[in-house]
Amino acid sequence: MCKCNQDASKTISVDSIYSPMEGTIVKTENMTETEKFFEIKLEEGKPLGDIPGQFVELSIFGIGEAPISVSSSPTKQDQSTFEIVVRNVGMFTAALNKLDVGDKIGVRGPFGRPFPIDDLKGNDLMFVAGGLGIVPLRSLINFVIDRRRDFGAVSILLGCKSPNERLFVDEIDKWSNLTDINYACTVDKADPDWKGNVGVITTLIPGVDLDVNKTYAVVVGPPIMYKFVIKELLKKGVPENKIVLSLERRMKCGLGKCGHCQINDLYVCQDGPTFLYSEIKGLEEAL
Amino acid sequence: MRYVYLDKDNLGKFFDLLKEDYKIVGPVKKENKFVFAEVEDVSEMSLEYIPTILPPKKYFFPQKEKLGDFNMGDTKMSQTSIEMQPTVIFGAHTCDIDGIECSDAVFHKDPADPYYSKRSKMITVIGYECMFQCDDCATCVTMDTHNPKAGYDIMITDAKDKYILHVNSPKGNEIIQKAGELLENDSEEKIKSYLVKLREEKMKKFKVSLIANYNELKDIFDGSYNSKIWEDVGKRCVSCGNCTAVCPTCYCFDIYDDVKLDISGGDRTRIWDSCQLKPFAEVAGGENFREERSSRQRHRLFRKFDYSVNKYNKFFCTGCGRCTRTCMAGISLIDTVNDLTKEKNNV
Amino acid sequence: MSEAKQKVRVAFFDFADCEGCQLQVTYLNEAFLGLLEHVDIVNFREAISEKSDDYDIAFIEGSITRKHDEERIKKIRENAKIIVAYGACACTGGVNGLRRHYTDEEAKEIVYKGREFPLEAGRPKPVHEVVKVDYYIHGCPTNNDEFVKAVKGILLGKGYTPPSYSVCVECKLKENVCLFEKGQTCMGPVTRAGCDAWCTSYGNKCYGCRGMLDNPAEQGQMDILEKNGYTIAELKQKFETYNMCRMEAEKNG
Repeated sequence: MCKCNQDASKTISVDSIYSPMEGTIVKTENMTETEKFFEIKLEEGKPLGDIPGQFVELSIFGIGEAPISVSSSPTKQDQSTFEIVVRNVGMFTAALNKLDVGDKIGVRGPFGRPFPIDDLKGNDLMFVAGGLGIVPLRSLINFVIDRRRDFGAVSILLGCKSPNERLFVDEIDKWSNLTDINYACTVDKADPDWKGNVGVITTLIPGVDLDVNKTYAVVVGPPIMYKFVIKELLKKGVPENKIVLSLERRMKCGLGKCGHCQINDLYVCQDGPTFLYSEIKGLEEAL
Repeated sequence: MRYVYLDKDNLGKFFDLLKEDYKIVGPVKKENKFVFAEVEDVSEMSLEYIPTILPPKKYFFPQKEKLGDFNMGDTKMSQTSIEMQPTVIFGAHTCDIDGIECSDAVFHKDPADPYYSKRSKMITVIGYECMFQCDDCATCVTMDTHNPKAGYDIMITDAKDKYILHVNSPKGNEIIQKAGELLENDSEEKIKSYLVKLREEKMKKFKVSLIANYNELKDIFDGSYNSKIWEDVGKRCVSCGNCTAVCPTCYCFDIYDDVKLDISGGDRTRIWDSCQLKPFAEVAGGENFREERSSRQRHRLFRKFDYSVNKYNKFFCTGCGRCTRTCMAGISLIDTVNDLTKEKNNV
Repeated sequence: MSEAKQKVRVAFFDFADCEGCQLQVTYLNEAFLGLLEHVDIVNFREAISEKSDDYDIAFIEGSITRKHDEERIKKIRENAKIIVAYGACACTGGVNGLRRHYTDEEAKEIVYKGREFPLEAGRPKPVHEVVKVDYYIHGCPTNNDEFVKAVKGILLGKGYTPPSYSVCVECKLKENVCLFEKGQTCMGPVTRAGCDAWCTSYGNKCYGCRGMLDNPAEQGQMDILEKNGYTIAELKQKFETYNMCRMEAEKNG
């Protein structure tokens, strides 16, 4: 092996896009048995600069990184923080779950293509959220509520497995009481105290009165839900290019490089995570 | 642009001159295969070689690369740097130079990858033109990578009694200036017409094994997504990840944290990953978007002949033949693409 | 982390095995001392003489063969928060699994040739066939780099999951010449990675000591091994060397 040139080996400093910013957890709340809410403040209260629909890579050294949807709207009162909700399902989220107020967390981002807010403006909106889908959708719903006059009629349809799995119960209660919002919620399986609808989320769609010429449907939920909801929406006459979705993939880098989130020639971390149904229709690996 | 002659007897001196300023890596024999490795003397290299086990992408994008150091409990990396010395890749084939151009397209694309960019600035590429086909696995003629086009600082062409050096960058020019005494000048016109003749001659020694030509390939893939051929390929594949590891244009990676023994800190590292491995497209809830081997193999080839054209306007198959050569199950890119072509032509 | 934080108490136990994996752990040398900053080792036959029943993590070496071994491992399970099976004997039954070809009587006859042998002998089982195992560190013997990685992961609370893919993945990244391309045989394609292609990087072939990978391609794997010079009989034997217990378990559903 060559030894002669070893002294020439240089340490070259890299200004790394992989080095996280520092975030501090300023508020937490256990929302259900498995879901925990975090409010995070970046250094010096610098706003994250996100637009609804984007995600961040959260980092805990020694454990790793994970892509997490931003749940708060940039229009919220305190712009020095952003909010996330994490389900404890893996190694990273288990470690995140143990963190509390005052703990530090690494943040990269925001990444990804946001919801097409400019296109949504002036149109009626129908939000459909299944399970954890409410987490990213909440950022857009609150954005719309804060800029209410920019949008037409708004309806919100929520679905989850059981009443105790509902997230943001108080906040959603407030939404449901807004006179300018049409709201409905259903659970797959009721408990004795539940007085609302029972059934899968698609059962709510026929009941919504909508003008298909000026309605965008924004749908976020688990993969299985998309197939059924999209079918129902198309039946109702909502055009393919007015159905907006958000896809979940395991983005490792967030920078369109690592390949993990690739669907055909689309990189979910950059070309998504939000897509129009017309853009991904027919891509077998998308839904 | 400049063309010069180098006497074959002077190759050693030329090499020694390079060695004064650069670490040199070149093709060396490893058992019955070849690898790119550091060389001290020109005699250690085997310039007439079958593509190395791993392509030279390992110098731009190492198998494992530290992204940064951290202290436990911190959120920012304590240090982000690379360790590298100015390096000459000596004797790179034109197919591998095309591979470097593909990975350039990926890693330089906004947002550019800073590690790759720094490494790439430290690397000088001196190519060595193939005057005959390495083996039957190569498809370089169809992929149009058998002749030098771009992507190198200097290209060496064996012109029988001497070498022709084509200088293709300021970096290459600097080297040529330094090597002045070893070189012979002649009119550019003359050397260029000699090269044309040499390339006409060499074509007799190259075989075209793909039925489709370059312009037809994208169309063939556009219509083949649901072909049964993928199922057959999937049945034979064992998901060993060899084809992606040896591919000069595969660039997928995973990121993990390695913690020091005293658990005071560690480093965040990226490692080559493979879309052929089952967990690659799995998400947190357990859903896997490419569960079947057939869909993973299809994904691999679509990334070479279809998606890459849409995204980077370039085929990401360099025709080097490594995936065919390395596959234990005998999955051949040539057979697969030819089967797809026949299927399309029959419809 | 607060300074008052107690060190994690770790115990090592061996059952039916050669103690080779325990010996590997002692070869950790400096790395071992580094670990000692975070753990107290309270039970370790190869290295210390003290013994205690108060521990958080129990490392189990060896397969479980006899009735009183089963009782002993159940007791350990009750005491330990985390059980780590390490080494092939504990993780897959290892070479001991071959004993399953014979009844107790046959085995005794083969080994002791009619001489009286007062000890009880039984059917070897990997640890998870008797008690719940939290983490596995495969290998015969275990690879120290992987061992350390797993221990660090467990101490950090993220645990350790060995790779699901084949040794080939790691072997190719090291740019080794494939043994098949040299006309030799190798169990790499069907064997779980995690050893960083230890044997094949040092001129040896893979014997499959880490057990079969997850989700093997049924026909594909066999085709490759057969094509490269293994006979079916040889293959069966090679598989059984480290996978006998798994094969039996799969056969019995």
